[in-house]
Amino acid sequence: MTASTRSTVLSLYMRVFRIARTWQAQSGVTGDTETERKYILQEARTLFRQNQQLKDQESVKKCLEECEARIEIGLHYRNPYPRATYLPPMGLATQKGRKLRAQQRLRKQAKPIYLQSQDET
Amino acid sequence: MASRVLLQCVRSLGRPSLRLSAANLAVRATAAPAAARRPLSFAADSRRPRWLGQSSIPSVGVLCRQYGDLPPLTLETIKDRVMYVLKLYDKINPEKLQTSSHFMKDLGLDSLDQVEIIMAMEDEFGFEIPDAEAEKLMSPGEIVQYIADKKDVYE
Repeated sequence: MTASTRSTVLSLYMRVFRIARTWQAQSGVTGDTETERKYILQEARTLFRQNQQLKDQESVKKCLEECEARIEIGLHYRNPYPRATYLPPMGLATQKGRKLRAQQRLRKQAKPIYLQSQDET
Repeated sequence: MASRVLLQCVRSLGRPSLRLSAANLAVRATAAPAAARRPLSFAADSRRPRWLGQSSIPSVGVLCRQYGDLPPLTLETIKDRVMYVLKLYDKINPEKLQTSSHFMKDLGLDSLDQVEIIMAMEDEFGFEIPDAEAEKLMSPGEIVQYIADKKDVYE
């Protein structure tokens, strides 16, 4: 990891912490504010730790984009939780017919950037 | 009769902080014989318990204004607070913590932990530390030095 990406990662981490410090929930309930602040901190810690060992530039850039997307979306909608999209199991149409590998490939492509680190259940 | 009452007031309340009110009393004592006696005595009697009440309040003796502010920072207090916050952090072993221990080399933390520690210092001292300078603070001694520089604490 180059020095510039390292400093970008650390400044993003600090930015998330600063957002969490002054976060106010949209519902106005104090319990919700506390829960959402804890959620933001916990998500940041787990996801940054999980992706700490990545070495190649592509995946690091993707994770940085994911982080920035989640920050912008969360600030805009005042909601720190990512918006889950629902796709039925064989939902994407392929050209050659219903094959599983093509499905998986298309699904990976169709997943939004801000959901990259979440598992599909 | 009013002047005798007033003189008794002056003798009983003989304190330096009340020199001003005693001077008022003296002025009124000189003015008393000129004015009507009885209403002044009533006034003196009604004023005496109030002055007595006021005399018990300034027990400090010095009247000065006190503005709302935190107590001044010294290097010792900054160091104590920094070490206290670091001891509360769960990834640091309190026994191994020294003022000169490096976060990465001695305590085995990584850069994400260092960011968290700097955040905790910002919360503790109430002012923001910019990214560029936060990256360089690698031991409790450096943090204390930086805060002392920012807050103009000299020893």
